[in-house]
Amino acid sequence: MADHFSGPRILIDPASDVADVYTFPSPDRPGRLVLALDVFPAAAPAARFSDALVYRFRVRPVARDGQGFSVGDQEYTLDVTFDAPGASAGSEPSAQTGTCTLPGGEQLRFPVDEPTETGGVRIFAGPRLDPFFIDLKGVLATDAIEQLAFQPEGASNALQGANVLAIVIEIDPAAVFGPDAGPLLGVVGETVIAGGRPTRLERMGRPEIKNVILASKKFDQVNRDLEIRDLYNEEDAFAVRPDYEGAYRARFDANLAFFDRLAGDIVWPPGEHGTHPLTDLLFADFLVVDTSKPFSESSSFEIERAALVGREHTTCGGRAPNDDIVDTLYTLLVNGVDGERISDGVDQATRPATHTFPYLVAPNPTPPDAMTVLRSLLPPAAEEPAP
Amino acid sequence: MTATVMDRGDVRTTDGTLALANLTAQVDMLAGQALPAGSPDSAAHRVLEQQAALVDLLTLRGHLLGCVADYELAFQVADRMVATAPHSAIALSARARTRATLHRFADAWSDLDAAHRAEPSVDGLDADRSAILQAVGCYEEAELLLQNAASHQSDFASLSAQAVLYAERGSIAEAVQAFAAAHDAHRGVSPFPLAQLDFRRGVMWMREGDLTAAHEAFDAARRRVPAYAPATGHLAEIELLRGDAAAAAGYLRPVAETSDDPEYAAHLALALRGLGQHDRARVWRDRAKRRYDELVRLHPEAYADHAGDFWLGAGGDPGRALRLAQWTLVMRQTPRARAVVERARAAVGASSPDVR
Repeated sequence: MADHFSGPRILIDPASDVADVYTFPSPDRPGRLVLALDVFPAAAPAARFSDALVYRFRVRPVARDGQGFSVGDQEYTLDVTFDAPGASAGSEPSAQTGTCTLPGGEQLRFPVDEPTETGGVRIFAGPRLDPFFIDLKGVLATDAIEQLAFQPEGASNALQGANVLAIVIEIDPAAVFGPDAGPLLGVVGETVIAGGRPTRLERMGRPEIKNVILASKKFDQVNRDLEIRDLYNEEDAFAVRPDYEGAYRARFDANLAFFDRLAGDIVWPPGEHGTHPLTDLLFADFLVVDTSKPFSESSSFEIERAALVGREHTTCGGRAPNDDIVDTLYTLLVNGVDGERISDGVDQATRPATHTFPYLVAPNPTPPDAMTVLRSLLPPAAEEPAP
Repeated sequence: MTATVMDRGDVRTTDGTLALANLTAQVDMLAGQALPAGSPDSAAHRVLEQQAALVDLLTLRGHLLGCVADYELAFQVADRMVATAPHSAIALSARARTRATLHRFADAWSDLDAAHRAEPSVDGLDADRSAILQAVGCYEEAELLLQNAASHQSDFASLSAQAVLYAERGSIAEAVQAFAAAHDAHRGVSPFPLAQLDFRRGVMWMREGDLTAAHEAFDAARRRVPAYAPATGHLAEIELLRGDAAAAAGYLRPVAETSDDPEYAAHLALALRGLGQHDRARVWRDRAKRRYDELVRLHPEAYADHAGDFWLGAGGDPGRALRLAQWTLVMRQTPRARAVVERARAAVGASSPDVR
């Protein structure tokens, strides 16, 4: 799944588990930029945001640079924090209140679960139907049998009916970041411990980097025993420390080569020392959005693909909730920049996102439990022989 | 050794009430269902991992809220996992943990052996074995296994396990250092690991007889998780030992109402008796008695020693306490088990024949 359950550590603390990050020009109010962060995968109706975390968007100006991007030094952060709801021991916590701190330090208070407009900023935080969709069964089978295993006829969305906790912020980038910011921006979503040591627990830029590209250990001859995702989560997407960079790159190279082998022919010939041509691009793990272009429902990776082949990009890039990112990513990894489209057979979420704020749709009041979701991934049980 | 009270409130964690609500939300979303029989492919593996997570979350909630029903449910989920995936190391080690929680150490050990046979390279077995050895008083062997386990664990898990081991075997200076190191190694905002660490620190000081340090540690645990039943129960015990029955009753009333562990009802009976409220005390004592009888029948390995404590105190039957304590000592040669036997002997005026 896009970034749901991305690492062992996060399982005990779901309020800090980033499920998805989206950024796209507003379809509702042209000229404005939407930032969305989903946490707490498979959230039950009683789930709440942690009061000990900062839910953070980090935005930096980026520029096309060869087959990738150079990142500017200026950084704009939007921090969202939540109060602990008042409750006595043993009773249900009541509603929460949030605070959004803008890059200039201005603080906007808002009630959870109510779309709010304040100071020219629209904010929503609360439970929503998970907008992500994926044939997880096909993804797992592909890894297991080392062949493309999507079966569009019988595919089903592993997240059907599931909820998340979502934070959606809509801003005027010129007003919030300043007139010189953009039009190309790099965007990352994070969960960070509030106060004390501000440790980064999770970060996400592009979808499926951790759970699809980095998760499998079996192809990586350098770090075969290393569960790399918890380490990767702690890194600064805009400035990875040198300590583990070699380990991350080895995993990218090995696993990207596996995806390239799936179609039989090699579309990404390795460079010197076995470096995969996509490693540098994907290792710079942030969404790239062009705020000067209009909203598009299906433009994820378009700016990156244009950079890889040296052409002008034509869309806003970024990532919109209804974008079929699984198909786009597998197509890029397996068949190349303009290769034949691969489909996992799941083309939309339980209910598609709308074009009006807060875009993500109301939560399912009776979501399936996670075990039901996981059971749906199992092959049909063998028939019991008649006694 | 005497403790220096440390203010370790510097680590920010999620509000304990909110975190408990989220823990329950997680448990709800992993509601236990049997894994259908099928080939152990990667999807089945994921289902097993999620069920193992459910087992551990239920065990955690059972500990925090003093809820025996959660321990029983965790065992049922794990037992079903093994029934449908009998050669899965994940399933076997999950069941081992639930059996160890209910003090069925021999059964737990045989599950861990089977898990090792099924998947020799699986992580975590040494840590699980070490916990069992520690529980039965084999501290040297437990320490060796902990050292083996350290490379597969987070610093926090490894250091806290070490701290608890030192505390159990009475190496207090080392334990104090390990508790502090574990605290500093904690990552994340879940309040539960730090609350459990403070709780274990409190248990150590309680055993050492340093009630001030114990009170500080249990209080720290309760500040992180206000509904933390065992920490609340121990704070009440300290108040009883200090002779403040009213404060003890104040701590115990809400926990005794919500927990299905009779320890709180038993202590509340003692506190109420101390306040001269004999009729109310009798109600709680009878409730504890019924529940102890039930738990000794269902889970004798886990509750015989606690029942022994009860019959020594609020239950008022030292002979019965001695029989239960001796039975426990046969199963576990731990300092606590020996202490209960000695207290029971003293209570019945026995002439101290050897217990073997």
